[in-house]
Amino acid sequence: MSDNIFKELCNRILNLFKQTESKEENAKDVARNRLRVVLMQDRTNLTPDLLQRMRKELVELLSKYVEMDKDALELNFDQEGDQMALMLSIPVIRAKDEAEIEEALAQDDEGKVSEEDAEESEAGEGDNSEGENTEASEGENKSEDEIEISEDNSESNDENTSEENNDTQNDNQQNENIQEEPYQENNNQ
Amino acid sequence: MTGRVIVITSGKGGVGKTTTNANIGTALARAGNKVVMIDTDLGLRNLDLLLGLENRIVYTIVDVVEKRCKLKQALVKDKKNPNLCLLAAAQTRDKSAVTEKQLKEICEKLKKDFDFILVDCPAGIEQGFQNAVAGASEAIVVTTPEMSAVRDADRIIGLLEAKEDIKSYKLLINRVRPNLVKSNDMMSVEDVVEILSADLIGIIPEDTGIITSTNKGEPIVNDDKSLAGQAYRNVAQRIMGNEVPFLDLEKETSVVTKVKKFFSHLIGKEK
Repeated sequence: MSDNIFKELCNRILNLFKQTESKEENAKDVARNRLRVVLMQDRTNLTPDLLQRMRKELVELLSKYVEMDKDALELNFDQEGDQMALMLSIPVIRAKDEAEIEEALAQDDEGKVSEEDAEESEAGEGDNSEGENTEASEGENKSEDEIEISEDNSESNDENTSEENNDTQNDNQQNENIQEEPYQENNNQ
Repeated sequence: MTGRVIVITSGKGGVGKTTTNANIGTALARAGNKVVMIDTDLGLRNLDLLLGLENRIVYTIVDVVEKRCKLKQALVKDKKNPNLCLLAAAQTRDKSAVTEKQLKEICEKLKKDFDFILVDCPAGIEQGFQNAVAGASEAIVVTTPEMSAVRDADRIIGLLEAKEDIKSYKLLINRVRPNLVKSNDMMSVEDVVEILSADLIGIIPEDTGIITSTNKGEPIVNDDKSLAGQAYRNVAQRIMGNEVPFLDLEKETSVVTKVKKFFSHLIGKEK
C-alpha cells in the first residue's frame, strides 16, 4: 500500500516537471511540429479522420497480441531522402500469455464468422505477427500493406516521444517499433 | 552556346521570387555571363520594376508569341550591364496568352545566345506555373522559414519531381532573421532543409536594404556592402558551379561584427 502511494507521489512530481517543461515549448518547435504533421497529411493524402481511424485499427489489431498503452501510441511519418517510412511507437505494458492471445483471436474469428458468414478466413495461430487482415475488412477495400514488426527492447528512447505519453511511461515498458515498408512518395498528379 | 534554363518558383506569393530572380540574374551577369530573364507572370509583371526597366519596355512576351515582333526586338537590355536582358510579361493579358509549348520554344531559341535563362514563375500551381516550368531543366525553389511558405514549397517540390524535364531543383531560403532563430522564435535553415529534404543553394538574410533597392529599381547585389547582396552573389557563384561557403548569419548580424564593420568603414578599410 505505502509503496503504491509513494509511487504515485513520485509520478505526480515528475509530471509536474514535465508539464512546466512542455509549457516552455518555443514558437520554433511548435512551427516545426505543426508543419511536420500537416506535411504528413499533404504527402499521404490522409486526412486527420483517416489517420485517427488508422490509429484505432492498429491499436485493435495489436491489442490482440500484447497489452499496450493505447493512449500513448505514436504515429509518425519519417522522411529519409526520397523515401517515407511510417513509424509507430507504442509502450508495451505487458506481454500476453498464449491463452490470452488465443482467446483474443478466437473472439475475433467468431465476430467475423457471425458478421460475414460467407467469408471463412483462417486466422493465424497466434505465433505469426505479420499483419492479420481482419480489422479493415469492414467493407472498405483499402489496400493493406504488410506490417513488419520488429521489437526492440530498448526503453522508450524514441526521439519523437513527446509529452503525450510521459505520464504513462513505466519502467518495465518496452517500445515496440513497427516500420511499414518504405514506399515511394506518391506525389500529386 | 547552350544556355541553362532555370525556373525560379515558390508556390506561395510574396516570398521573394522576383527579387531573387532580379538579383541572381544581375549577379550572374556581373560575373561575366550572358543572362536573360523571362517574366512569365502575365498580368502581374514586376520584374521590370525591380530592375528599373519599366520605362524601356516596348514589346512583351505576348508580342513575341503573337508574332508582332522578333524575339530579339523584345529583349530589353539592362541599364548598367549589357550582358543582362529582360523579356517582359504583358501587363494587360492573362496567363492563357502564352502556352507551355510557346514558352518552351522561346527558351530553346534563347539557349543559343545566352548562358543563363532565368524564368520568373508566377505564384500558385496553376497554368502559370506549368507554363513557366515547361522550358526549364533546373529549378530554384524559394521559401522563407515560415510554415505556409514551407508547406507550399513542399507542394512545389512534389510537382517538380513529377516533371521529367526538371533535372535538379535547389532550395533558396529567403528572409532569414538570425535574431529570431537564435531566440527560438523562427525555424532555422536546418529545420527547413530537414523538413523539405532538398539541397540548399542559398540563405538570404532579411534585409531592409531590399526595400530601398526595389524602390530605386536597383538590385541589391550591386551594393557591395549589403549582406543580402553578398548572399545573392554567393548563390550566383554556386549556380556557376563554384563552391562558396554559406554565410554565418548569426555572426554577420551580431552587434560586435556590425560595430567592427562600422569602424573599418570609417577608416576606409572595408574589404
